[in-house]
Amino acid sequence: MFLAALLPKQNGEAALDASLVQQLLQRDMRAFEQIYDRHSRLVYGLVYRIVQQAGTAEEVVQDVFLQLWRNAAQYDASRGPFLPWLLTMARHRALDTLRLKSERQRRREDQTEELPGVCAAPQFEKQLDEKRRAVQVRELMTSLQPQQKRAIELAYFEGLSHTEIAATLKEPLGTVKSWIRNGLLRLREGLQEKTT
Amino acid sequence: MSSTDQFGELLQAYALGALDGPEREALEAHLAAGCPECAAELAEARWVVSQLAYAAPEAAPSDMLRGRLMQIVRSEAVAPGTSATLIGSSKPAVPFWMWAAVAALLLVSLYSFWNARQLQEQIRDVNERATAQLHSREKIEEELAAARQEAAQVKREADILADPSSVKIAMATTAADSGPLQANWNPRLGLVVSGSKIPQPAGSRVLQLWIIPKTAGAKPVPVQIERPDENGTFVMVVATPPEALTNAKALAVSEEPAGGSPQPTTTPKWVGGVSLFPLKSP
Repeated sequence: MFLAALLPKQNGEAALDASLVQQLLQRDMRAFEQIYDRHSRLVYGLVYRIVQQAGTAEEVVQDVFLQLWRNAAQYDASRGPFLPWLLTMARHRALDTLRLKSERQRRREDQTEELPGVCAAPQFEKQLDEKRRAVQVRELMTSLQPQQKRAIELAYFEGLSHTEIAATLKEPLGTVKSWIRNGLLRLREGLQEKTT
Repeated sequence: MSSTDQFGELLQAYALGALDGPEREALEAHLAAGCPECAAELAEARWVVSQLAYAAPEAAPSDMLRGRLMQIVRSEAVAPGTSATLIGSSKPAVPFWMWAAVAALLLVSLYSFWNARQLQEQIRDVNERATAQLHSREKIEEELAAARQEAAQVKREADILADPSSVKIAMATTAADSGPLQANWNPRLGLVVSGSKIPQPAGSRVLQLWIIPKTAGAKPVPVQIERPDENGTFVMVVATPPEALTNAKALAVSEEPAGGSPQPTTTPKWVGGVSLFPLKSP
């Protein structure tokens, strides 16, 4: 089985994040500043990609970081590293802001917990700085078939389901499912190859 | 294919949020049943999905957003009674800076009130001192005027007595306890009546000088009043004697009530005849 065991300990950047979040519980403003400076660009880039409007993106980012400041105890280090948790929360907020009151949103709200679920970095995961990680992920996405890449982007950045993506791309549902599954597996393998 | 393998195919799409319909419901039921392998794989799939955030174009939030956030966080960090674990904790109703401003305003008001009271007291004190100084000055001026007047009289008296053209008129008395008076008249400088060992009239009574006209039946003409000092010295200076003096038969001095009388009320104690020395005005 490909799945690696969860990391017993967080290391490097993830350990620093976990330490800073602990300090947030003590109302440490400097810790908050460090977290914001470390991750606000990535969070903003993701949110802006989803909402496509700078003012709205800043409102969402402000909400996300204020939620972190006020409710830092919501983050449970035993359920996974901090940054994926923060990114997942930001993505949920951004998709909520799109106000997709259709089946799409109802489905997503039903499916996902209010807080991000358990998330585990695989054993191969090495801590890369933000720029190197961005280059790595973009190269992997570019290596996918264009339709495969497009299907994953529709799901991730626009919150569409299998069915909706199939309708949007005018492709069979089964094909879309295969694209997404295989694309994500390819992404996982690529991350493994690039970091080992 | 085992159930784990069957659901394992759905985990990537589920982590991405793309799974819908019966497949999603079936997977969630499987996860709820507690499949540890699927749970672990889902956790890893979530991590892979989270990495898709890096595929978003690079963009940076504005500095204003950072400033706004830090301002909010700073205000909440210093606010008492806030807790990091309280979900949805709100800002304090009245921010600290507003309490500080109210306190500062109160202090300024109290200081202003105290300062105004101090100023009022100072102004009242200054006014009282100014009034006292004014009274003192008026008194000094009065004394100075009196001294000047006295000095002028002394000088006039000296001038009249020293002037060789002055006419001397002896005013004898019948009173045993009193000395005589002497009048010196100078047509240019006036009249001086003086004497020593003159007893002071009782109480506030005064000595009054009269001109006794030559004309038969004419009433005595009042001239001036004066009192001798404690030593019995009597000096009366008349700068401008009445015109009647040039036609006087005699000069007389009687004792009269305070303020003098229009006509003698007592028999004159001093009388000096001037008939032998006809007086002429200058």
